[in-house]
Amino acid sequence: MTEDIKTTPPASVTPAEKDDNALGRRGFFRWMTVGWIAFSAATGGFFTVIVRFLFPNVLFEPPQTFKAGFPNDYASNFVDTRYKKKFNVWMVRDEESIFALSTVCTHLGCTPNWLGTENKFKCPCHGSGFRMTGINFEGPAPRPLERYKISVATDGQILVDKTKSFKWEKGEWENAESFLKV
Amino acid sequence: MENKNKKSFLERMGESQVWKSIIRSGVPRSRRQRMQAILGSVFLHLHPARIPKHAVKIGYTWCMGGLSFFLFIVLTITGLLLMFYYRPTVEYAYTDIIDMAEQVPLGIMRELHRWGAHAMVLTVWLHMLRVFMTGSYKPPREFNWGVGVLLMTLTMFLSFTGYLLPWDQLAIWAITVGTNMARAHPFIGHEGPGASLLAIGDINLVHAGSDVRFALLGGRFVGEASLLRFYVLHCIGVPFITMILMAVHFWRIRKDGGISGPL
Amino acid sequence: MLQTIKDIIDILSAPTVSFTFLTVAFPFVFPPTDWFEKIHRKFGIWRLWTKPGFYGGMFAITFFFVVGYFDPNFHVTLTKADNFPIILMIYSMFITIWWSMYQAYLNDERLENGLKPNEYNDPDDKVLVWPDLVYIEFIALILFMVFLIVWSILVAAPLEEPANPAATPNPSKAPWYFLGLQEMLVYFDPWIAGIVFPMFIIIGMMAIPYMDINKKGDGYYSFKERRIGMFIFMYGWLVLWLFLIVIGTFFRGPNWNFFGPFEYWDAHKVVPLNNVNLSEYIWVKTLGTGLPANILIREGIGFLVLVAYMGILPILLAKSWLKNYFQEIGPVRYTFIMLFGLSMLALPIKMYMRWLFNLKYIIAIPEWFFNI
Repeated sequence: MTEDIKTTPPASVTPAEKDDNALGRRGFFRWMTVGWIAFSAATGGFFTVIVRFLFPNVLFEPPQTFKAGFPNDYASNFVDTRYKKKFNVWMVRDEESIFALSTVCTHLGCTPNWLGTENKFKCPCHGSGFRMTGINFEGPAPRPLERYKISVATDGQILVDKTKSFKWEKGEWENAESFLKV
Repeated sequence: MENKNKKSFLERMGESQVWKSIIRSGVPRSRRQRMQAILGSVFLHLHPARIPKHAVKIGYTWCMGGLSFFLFIVLTITGLLLMFYYRPTVEYAYTDIIDMAEQVPLGIMRELHRWGAHAMVLTVWLHMLRVFMTGSYKPPREFNWGVGVLLMTLTMFLSFTGYLLPWDQLAIWAITVGTNMARAHPFIGHEGPGASLLAIGDINLVHAGSDVRFALLGGRFVGEASLLRFYVLHCIGVPFITMILMAVHFWRIRKDGGISGPL
Repeated sequence: MLQTIKDIIDILSAPTVSFTFLTVAFPFVFPPTDWFEKIHRKFGIWRLWTKPGFYGGMFAITFFFVVGYFDPNFHVTLTKADNFPIILMIYSMFITIWWSMYQAYLNDERLENGLKPNEYNDPDDKVLVWPDLVYIEFIALILFMVFLIVWSILVAAPLEEPANPAATPNPSKAPWYFLGLQEMLVYFDPWIAGIVFPMFIIIGMMAIPYMDINKKGDGYYSFKERRIGMFIFMYGWLVLWLFLIVIGTFFRGPNWNFFGPFEYWDAHKVVPLNNVNLSEYIWVKTLGTGLPANILIREGIGFLVLVAYMGILPILLAKSWLKNYFQEIGPVRYTFIMLFGLSMLALPIKMYMRWLFNLKYIIAIPEWFFNI
């Protein structure tokens, strides 16, 4: 009995019995290739469609540029919080320049508060602190606040463009567009 | 004594054609009928017909897995009812939340939903703790422990997506902080390590308008689109995945030999 | 008298003190080796897992909350509707952990005497699900529903002011079950604390059954048979997750400053947090030169520290202290255990480096958003 079980099945198709319609080894691999390409194209395509669907072409967001009054409106060494609520920008004037600081904490995007008495921005979420210039000095924030592009419009008012930002750690605060000389 | 042969109302009901068509085993009295009652019910046959003695001890199971499932059902029902009143738009969301408490009779549906959600996080944690304390994750139940960890994560994510919907201060700032973590995701978040490597020449492929945070929020800031996306995830997307994993979780309990116990 | 107690609790609950206390006391409460076990027995710490320990623990927690309820400062935090789940969490976690350890010690004793654990029943002696289990489930469900309805009637679901993207509330807290993560964010960069560590927690938890190859203690409460695994898990769960949630809920106030539970939340409390990177320590403070322009040279020491911690330390351990263990579990398991274990340990290490040296980052490359 045991020998019966052990006998191997007859050897695979011998050339003599080969059917003309049967798929040869080569043909098999050819079809496999076509099959796999079709499979990858279908899944890959479907996946691409899904991912791309998450990113609309048009965004309905508030305008990214605004006018922030005349340079002489600002006293030196003063942080102006007027534009914080509407545009998420602090207008800061130090001794020699005016710049537009982003109100987005570089840690996790909360909005810090300007504490005039302590002369610093303090984030309520995780306690990051920034100096008036935007340089981070305490708490977990990894880098300084970003500055926005600032220029003088034709009517003499300051024009802040939030679509372009300048990062200190990349040396971009040297860029002439990141501040206004006064 | 004279009533000895008189059958009670319940007994007669149990022998009626209607009852027998629904529950074929009749009133579960004999051992066989009781086992049939479990095996013949689509809901109850989640359980085996007989289980080890320690499995019915509250001291062993704390009932926490069952309560988590029960809370999931409660949250599905209450959530469904809340959807009748709630509109996921920046304009209406907050006022709809107030309305459903004040303009709807017995308006504790939101309380049931919110506290139920908190309770579910807790019951899931306690269930996990019990399974660890009794060493029930050990073979052959390794896979089901993994499914359970995923279910726990999904429970917390469900709770998190629900947080945004009232559109109050707590909501948007919790979501702001939460999604800004996605911004720091390596490679696919625009402020994550490695993102700047994915660039062709000067053009960054991963920026604020194309990273994983954008996909979550539907924009660069928390706004109208984010509310809608979190609403859909909260009501359909995540519960759907959770239900599939729950089915696997329950099925595997049976397949892995029922409740764990000493050999 | 009460005021003194409050002051003492305020001081003790500072993260530096309470975290240190918990970490040092932990191996004596959940003894992982014979030596700790000896002290655990000698000083009667084991009594925590007996009935008097239960009453003591419940009394301590209740005392804390009752005193807090009548304290004008703590009352505000304690009675916030959203904090009620945390009170539930503290009680339920204490009760369940105590119960598990109580049962475990009873079982340990039985096993030592050659008996079967308490949960053991004759495999042939089974009970019917109908009615024994179905009724228990039904009763549990009804009781829980009653609890939930009463809770919902008594406590209104919180609703804050309408969303205002310009004003962040101070303090601004994540949902309570994420406060452990939020606390980690204080010490680590977002990509570590927000992405890598959560991933490691999920994957590491899923990997527990594959890393813990100890076959004993399956299906019943026990401690001694699996004390090392138990110790590691409980440290992560109790101290690094639940305790950080408690800190985040009760002890973190405006500007994410630390406040004792009975302390007034003064938004103008000034706490100096001048943090310094490792590279600044080395180049500026020690060598007295400026930071090198080349980023990789600047952060070279940081990379060395990282490689030594995650790469060389496990190899050294495998050859010395953990030699037998390494041979028992093999290189693949060992690698993963070290990866998850050392990452977990990195959290308290980083916390202490922040507290002791104001160390901000070991590797600080904000240019690439790569900070560790």
